[in-house]
Amino acid sequence: MQSPYDVLEVSPTARDEDIRKAFRRLAKKLHPDLNPGDKAAEARFKQVTAAQDLLLDPEKRKRFDAGEIDASGAEQASRKYYKDFANGADAARAYHDSSGFADFSSADGLFAEILRRQAEQLASAPGADRLYRISISFLQAVNGATERLNLPEGGALDVVIPPGIEDGQALRLRGKGMPSRGSGPPGDALIEVSVQAHPLFVREGNNIRIELPISLKEAVLGARVRVPTPSGEVMLTIPKSANSGTILRLKGKGVARKSSPGDQLVAVKLVLPSKADAELEAFCKNWTPDPDDDPRGGMQA
Amino acid sequence: MSLPRDAFLGEAGLSAETLEVWINEEWIIPSGEGPDVTFTETDVARAKLVRDLTYDFRVNREGIGIVLHLLDQVHGLRQVLSELSHTNGGLPLHKERNE
Repeated sequence: MQSPYDVLEVSPTARDEDIRKAFRRLAKKLHPDLNPGDKAAEARFKQVTAAQDLLLDPEKRKRFDAGEIDASGAEQASRKYYKDFANGADAARAYHDSSGFADFSSADGLFAEILRRQAEQLASAPGADRLYRISISFLQAVNGATERLNLPEGGALDVVIPPGIEDGQALRLRGKGMPSRGSGPPGDALIEVSVQAHPLFVREGNNIRIELPISLKEAVLGARVRVPTPSGEVMLTIPKSANSGTILRLKGKGVARKSSPGDQLVAVKLVLPSKADAELEAFCKNWTPDPDDDPRGGMQA
Repeated sequence: MSLPRDAFLGEAGLSAETLEVWINEEWIIPSGEGPDVTFTETDVARAKLVRDLTYDFRVNREGIGIVLHLLDQVHGLRQVLSELSHTNGGLPLHKERNE
């Protein structure tokens, strides 16, 4: 590694003023924005900048002179230069200037063709898209909703959320983005929707799954019970001998998609009395289940 | 990505007064006006370049206008060159399609 004195082409006794002067002399030639496309110049510019930073810091310079640190101690964070944007797809459109070679464009050549195309693109390029985020409840996502989005620059957008939107999905509102810099159409507003979780309901595509606790008596004898659905409570018939894990289907009570509405799937979960029940224990002691009906019958390895 | 005025001033390390001058000189061209004005990352990088020219290289106001104007032409030319080098067999792509 070159010493910072060599990089700046100054003597080890150079004063701060000489160092600044040397830096300016080299930087003028090497600045990345004045040498777009020249990687070597950019690399040397970094060295020169690092060398100046080291030598203008009295503490660092002393330690370097004493051999305590080497020149690499002055590496800096990499910076983005104008040239890094100037040739991007749309980045520096506003600044580009072709007046200096406009004389070529009158000719009927390839060069003129490209210039004309550039000018057209520039004038008719659409505005930039703008990204927004909104957060909606689980039920709004399932049933659909209209949310008002307040724009940072004032005004508001009414966002119609179709039923069945998924977490992380984006809605595109045509023409609600930034205006074009030329005569092109405005960009779009992209609205990323995040859906909050629900304590009871779980989405499975267009279906909604819910776990429904039932008592032993309801399970054995069957019952009519209330079940919450995204569109309100409904009555559900539990058949006799409903087992834990039995899934009952409520048709059309899932995601409110017009074309193919989903169903609500109710998974029955058998729950014993929360306190020991003497009567139930007495019944079970005297009860002899069918010996052939082994609940672990399918478990032999 | 677009930055509001205050964020831009912070990123570029400029005072509001300096920015006013630079916009008047059309060294920086933000989009929107008044309180709706926004800046891009390109504008930030360009502002840093103007800062280097002013403070490191001591280019004066007239000089900066000249430097930027020439640089904008260089980038315009660079883009035309890169399009030229990407066109097939020396013909613009859409011309080929028409034939």
